[in-house]
Amino acid sequence: MTSARTRWPVLTLVLVLVVAGLSSCEYGRLLRPSVLSQLNPRVVQMVNYLPAVDHPNEAILARLFVHGGLSHATLGNDGVFRDEIFVPKNELIWEPAVIVMEKGGELELTFSNGDQTFHRALMPTHGGRKLLDLPMHEAGVVRIRLDQPGLYWFGCPVANHAGRGMLGLVVVEGEVPADARLDRPAMPRPGSE
Amino acid sequence: MPMARREACILAAAVASLLVCSCADRPEYPVTQSAVRMSSLNAAGGKAPPVAADVTSGRIARARSEPQNWLTYYGAYDGQRYSTLDQIDTTNVSHLRPAWAFQAGVIGLVAAPATYAFEAAPIVVDGVMYVSGWDGYVWALDAVTGEMLWEYRHSVPLDVPLCCGNVNRGVAVADGKVFFATPNAHLVALDAVTREPVWIKVFADIRAGESATAAPLVVKNLIIVGSSGAEYGVRGHLDAFDLRTGERVWRTYMVPKPGEPGFESWPQDTDAWATGGGTTWITGTYDPELDLLYWGTGNPGPDFNGAVRPGDNLYASGVVALDPDDGTIQWHYQWTPHDVWDYDGINENILFEMDGRKLLAHFDKNGYFFLLDRTDGELVRATEFARTTWGDIDATTGEVTNRREPAPEGTDVCPGPAGAKEWPHAAYSPQTGLLYTPVIELCATFTSSETEFAEGMPFWGSATQPLTGDSWGGIKAFDPATGEEVWSMRTEHPIVASTLATAGGLVFTGTPTGEFLALDARTGEQLWSFRTGNGIHSNPVTYSVDGTQYVAVPSGWGGWAAGFAPELYGAPRGTALFVFTLPSRETNNANR
Repeated sequence: MTSARTRWPVLTLVLVLVVAGLSSCEYGRLLRPSVLSQLNPRVVQMVNYLPAVDHPNEAILARLFVHGGLSHATLGNDGVFRDEIFVPKNELIWEPAVIVMEKGGELELTFSNGDQTFHRALMPTHGGRKLLDLPMHEAGVVRIRLDQPGLYWFGCPVANHAGRGMLGLVVVEGEVPADARLDRPAMPRPGSE
Repeated sequence: MPMARREACILAAAVASLLVCSCADRPEYPVTQSAVRMSSLNAAGGKAPPVAADVTSGRIARARSEPQNWLTYYGAYDGQRYSTLDQIDTTNVSHLRPAWAFQAGVIGLVAAPATYAFEAAPIVVDGVMYVSGWDGYVWALDAVTGEMLWEYRHSVPLDVPLCCGNVNRGVAVADGKVFFATPNAHLVALDAVTREPVWIKVFADIRAGESATAAPLVVKNLIIVGSSGAEYGVRGHLDAFDLRTGERVWRTYMVPKPGEPGFESWPQDTDAWATGGGTTWITGTYDPELDLLYWGTGNPGPDFNGAVRPGDNLYASGVVALDPDDGTIQWHYQWTPHDVWDYDGINENILFEMDGRKLLAHFDKNGYFFLLDRTDGELVRATEFARTTWGDIDATTGEVTNRREPAPEGTDVCPGPAGAKEWPHAAYSPQTGLLYTPVIELCATFTSSETEFAEGMPFWGSATQPLTGDSWGGIKAFDPATGEEVWSMRTEHPIVASTLATAGGLVFTGTPTGEFLALDARTGEQLWSFRTGNGIHSNPVTYSVDGTQYVAVPSGWGGWAAGFAPELYGAPRGTALFVFTLPSRETNNANR
């Protein structure tokens, strides 16, 4: 494999150009070492399999869970996170299906239903879940409160739309308040050396 | 070279992706919809009568003078789980019939989907029942009709770290509020009328593996709550907040840090104390006269590998008596020094008097029944109440001799990690003078090995596997004057429901296969049973409204069934609450 030795400078040049050109684009960020290290054979296999389940009634009945991508909610000046979720036609997914809040707080989501059937969004929040109707080609707004780090699921409770792909997650980052933490030295977390 | 080929492939893909790096325009649709609460889409009116407004610590201290109510977790501060109600008695209990049932069900995904369970002790105040479930649920129900008055659900993350099951053991009620702890360790104070949160306080760190399952306890102006998570190498603590404002008043750690009393029982040159466990996951009892709070402490961490924590490991697997005003530890007693069997010490401490002496009775997971003088923690007596092979405890001195320890190749020991009695509570009847305890007869293989600590990850120090095929259970009655067994009622499967003693001469409990039982408190004879249709792993309570006595029991199998009844791990999961009463004719007769 002597050719690999001559290929590397070229590849490095291309890498620099691509990173520079795409530094503001999510595609460019794909090239970070931390991402590349995630691309083990199983992850690559999963990504390669996605087109086979990219539409209902191809390889499986519907879509893989939480298929529809991810978005980081934007924190507004009023302290409320906001994002938009779209329901495309004949897909039975939320786009995006994963909403990230960088810390706990209020999240306002605008859902738009571009599908040709009725959907609903069942959302987690304090005090009980909230339910938002999504008639065809209409939009709705729901505001929820999630205070603590973790994964909170949401879904479409109509028929089995959730099971067919309309499950989503709100991912809340952050730490618990200082006075709730343990009085002890800083401890290693999984993955730390 | 495969690596070079992979990098090249990725680069080519990235360049190609430039061509598709654009976002499709989405049509704009008019915003016509706003969200509604799911809890507004049920038959509940959303309001409960203001019965909780007058509940105070003083009233709870006199709880037995208002037997129509079940005002606190154990019914009274003394943890006796005894009611003076006697309308339902040994002569008429066979006619007991369901009055109503409440069924919660599960909507959507739930944390610990195989092990959520209905373990609570319902609280009843003047005809209103407050009961908590898994996943942050609390309901207010009409205690006569079962009608739901309101529902509250706290948002709990799917990835909350849980030792075992997604469970909650109940609420506390006082000052017009309903207090409860969520699995992700929020202490929530709800307006008891409207169910709106008055304040919410985070009291433990889910990133460290902490969680919560215990019912909080109202003492004076404080709401006191325990933490869970000793399977994750946490440092257990007990927290007290002002019940009006939610402001923290104190936190007491159950594992001392360097320089504190008790630290001598931990390695001096490592951070073993920092992962030392000793959580406080079962509600304590309280003696208002001595002004002492008695709280059990969980296993030390790691559970099974004692080699990394030589010493007694105070105050884990014991009981501490605390000053409720500032949380200082007044005395302690360790049921299992240097516990390597996950025996905990969290089981209830029942307070009662005998021959003028203030005593504390405790059936420990380690298979011994302890009797202490609760003024100073002095041992009165320790006697075996189930099979034990892990070690011996001297009946009068309390000296502990460890006979075995977990080994890499496995060590068989009785009882197993769920104990000879799990957390479900014993009862004491002043009428018979007897204590009634649920019993698990199940042994297990314990293995030990080194576990590298990582915050938020299981820290067991290896594993335990119950030995199936030689297990059973039952209810046993003990005379605290002698420590002798007076009667025992053997069951096919371990009993993991609390007992409830009443002045009707009865002891109520439930089985893992769903039979709710009434036993004769003097003989153990089974007088009545009702099949609820799902395993019982909860706290039955009794109350009365308008002269009619009721008995209530949550029915919903789950929790750590793999640890206490592995033969029933695959049994159905339920989410129902059953309430029983006598036919009205007999109620009238009994009232005459």
